[in-house]
Amino acid sequence: MKKKFLSLLLVAAMAVMAVGCGSGSSTSSTDSSAGSSAGSNEQAAAPAESAAPAEEASDIEKPDSITIMVDGTVFTQENGQEQFIAKIEELTGISEIKVIQPDHDAYYDVLGQTIASGEWPDVLIASSTYYSAYAAEGVLWDMTDMWEGSDLQARQKAYNADGVVEGMKIDGRLYGMPAARGNGCMTYVKKAWLDAVGMDVPTNFDEYYEMLKAFTTQDPDGDGKNDTYGVSAAGFVGGEAPYINYLAEFYQDAYPSFYQKDDGTWTDGFTEDSMKAAMERLATAYSDGVIDPTTLTNGTSDCRNKFYADEFGVFTYWAGTWATNLKTNLDANGVDSELIALPPLAEVGKYLDRIPPVWCITTKCANPEGVYKYFIETMQDGGETQFAWTYGVEGTHWSTAAETLWEGAENETTYAEGEFHMLPNLEKPETAYTKAHIDPMLALTDLTAYPAGVTENPMDKAVAEEAKNSANVFAENCVSAVLVPSTDVLTQLNGDLTTLKNQLIADVTMGKLTVDEAYAKFESDGGADWSKQIVDSLNAQ
Amino acid sequence: MFLPVFIFACVFNYLPMIGIRYAFTNYNGIKEPVFNGFENFQRMFSMVNFWKAFTNTIVISVVKLLLTTAFAVVVSLFLNEIVNLHFKKVVQTIIYLPHFMSWVVTASIFSLILAPTSHGLVNTFLVNVGILGEDQMIYFLGSTKWWRFAYYLINIWKETGWQTVIFMATLSGINTELYEAASIDGAGRWGKMRYITFPAVANTILTVIILNLAKVMNLFESAFVLQNDAVLDTANVLETYIYYQTFNSGSIPNYGYTTAIGLFKSIVGCVLVLVCNQWSKKVRDGRGIV
Repeated sequence: MKKKFLSLLLVAAMAVMAVGCGSGSSTSSTDSSAGSSAGSNEQAAAPAESAAPAEEASDIEKPDSITIMVDGTVFTQENGQEQFIAKIEELTGISEIKVIQPDHDAYYDVLGQTIASGEWPDVLIASSTYYSAYAAEGVLWDMTDMWEGSDLQARQKAYNADGVVEGMKIDGRLYGMPAARGNGCMTYVKKAWLDAVGMDVPTNFDEYYEMLKAFTTQDPDGDGKNDTYGVSAAGFVGGEAPYINYLAEFYQDAYPSFYQKDDGTWTDGFTEDSMKAAMERLATAYSDGVIDPTTLTNGTSDCRNKFYADEFGVFTYWAGTWATNLKTNLDANGVDSELIALPPLAEVGKYLDRIPPVWCITTKCANPEGVYKYFIETMQDGGETQFAWTYGVEGTHWSTAAETLWEGAENETTYAEGEFHMLPNLEKPETAYTKAHIDPMLALTDLTAYPAGVTENPMDKAVAEEAKNSANVFAENCVSAVLVPSTDVLTQLNGDLTTLKNQLIADVTMGKLTVDEAYAKFESDGGADWSKQIVDSLNAQ
Repeated sequence: MFLPVFIFACVFNYLPMIGIRYAFTNYNGIKEPVFNGFENFQRMFSMVNFWKAFTNTIVISVVKLLLTTAFAVVVSLFLNEIVNLHFKKVVQTIIYLPHFMSWVVTASIFSLILAPTSHGLVNTFLVNVGILGEDQMIYFLGSTKWWRFAYYLINIWKETGWQTVIFMATLSGINTELYEAASIDGAGRWGKMRYITFPAVANTILTVIILNLAKVMNLFESAFVLQNDAVLDTANVLETYIYYQTFNSGSIPNYGYTTAIGLFKSIVGCVLVLVCNQWSKKVRDGRGIV
């Protein structure tokens, strides 16, 4: 009898749990965002409705309440999120902005679970991978018609940045708005080393290669030992798009993944002759010893530490703020810190701007036009709201009051009345904030109106000279990386394909295989077939 | 008392197994899973890299298990011979410490030690003693020929000390009268070790091997942090294969496929447990491990 009762109890418990589990993915509606979201999975999976034309924007209703899901690039609770959101509510007139902010490192895990559960926020931040996949699955609202012809587009165009937004289109439609450029890597050369070997700044690959050889063999650090290398990187190929950015001078026009040609068709750059030539260049450089022999096993922090320790002279790393970080750390190590931000070599042409994360509106948002107009668009209004997204809130993140910060410490700084300055970080009071969500050097629109008490764009004074110079050189010489749309075939095969490609690049570079042997292996291991299937699926879209 | 345990097991152990159903679907976490029968398994078994990863998992795990166990036994036997208690404790503490170091830190340290440059301790030593020329330095972690050797060495360094705990416990349980009797009979240290200590610890060795053999499919962190693109043919194991499927796809992965690989791994693990259980019953007088 007891056993029967137990069995029944367990069956009932399992049935209840099973129903509970099932409901998460088959729910027909959600009220997770306080009435602002409605709809069903069926509706969501259908092609996203086209937005209202820009000229009808004035009829758009302002949302009362929205739910946004953000990563750690928006102020955390410990860093004054409450004040920041209150300020955005005040500036936009949206009564309530509810924030869901998982741990930064776990953001995409939680986002995936949230989308799978059917309880979608109104707005979310998505990286390129999630952006293209969610757009393809009908999770994201199509904001093309709202953006095209809008004031925002005009402002971005005037700031020479509308191309960044154009680059986010999938099949001509826009499902997310970047708040800033993605930023990318550019090459820094130690000036002291260049002087030591008596060379000029290289402008083409031959000169660059001669410089690497000189850095490797002519004791540029002057310690009397043969212990330096020309260049180092974290692996021979990057783990995420745009893949080639750490060794751009060797890859030049080659790209090891999928890209869209001028005629609009997709192709796999790995199968092209340019990639074979790039692998030859890498192999020669490795065999000549001008590339750090531990490049294969280096992490980015290993590279930085070796650069600071004066073990190599050419480092391709992030443009902008990182120029200051590199300089500061070289100084801290007693190494000459003057770095030359190298414009791209003739053969490289342009550096690659990483695909930026985007702000997206989900198809379950009840009033997407309103959310676009009053939340997404205001983020780049060139005025006070953009100022808040760039620098934060007065009194919490920045100030113009006369004061002395870090009194008695090495970095003690005194500011006069009216002088704009960022305030100490609430979590790490020994350092100051450098920005809010939008990096001022990467903004897509000009900041032309400021809050009371601020008379000019703070970027001119708040950003170090070397960071501005690096950002400028990069901005003048970059093109956006390619956004690859998601297909079922790509999802199925690209994991194996990328692993195989990376393996072959490493094998050729280290001299284990010739280029011809590598491509024979690419064929025999199925890579060529997978590549063709993916290209076909992209072209069939 | 039975009921709470039973319910706990059902809710937290068996109910989550409902997730197994995804192995028979195409599922990207957005749309509803679409049943595709055994398609994921067909694809899995047709992939060269999958079989490489499967073979690597078995070989690396088993060799690692045998080596670390053998070293742990030898070290335990030596430790048991140390008469000075203070010195013995110091040695034990030193050899336990690496176990508590994270694999990420361990990998960083050994990347430096094994680097093929003048900064690499091992290569510099080999060059200085004349075994290698300056242009012949070995890239231990970047060569398919040397990677496993380096991997086993690092595992021995990290885990031997910790594994001695169980053997030291067995050794401390040996009746000291046996040693006294052996001494009277004229046995030396080697004789006592050979005829008393080693037989006493033999059953424990077998138990440790059997227990760990059942877990050979669970291999991720140590392999992941030490591997790189150049050594995947010998270093890629099933769990890292799943990782690359998930994060190298450049898109949202098909969780159905990765679940299928996980399910296959679990089935093999389950079979190994049952085999080990039978084996254990045979060698341990009917005592199984489950």
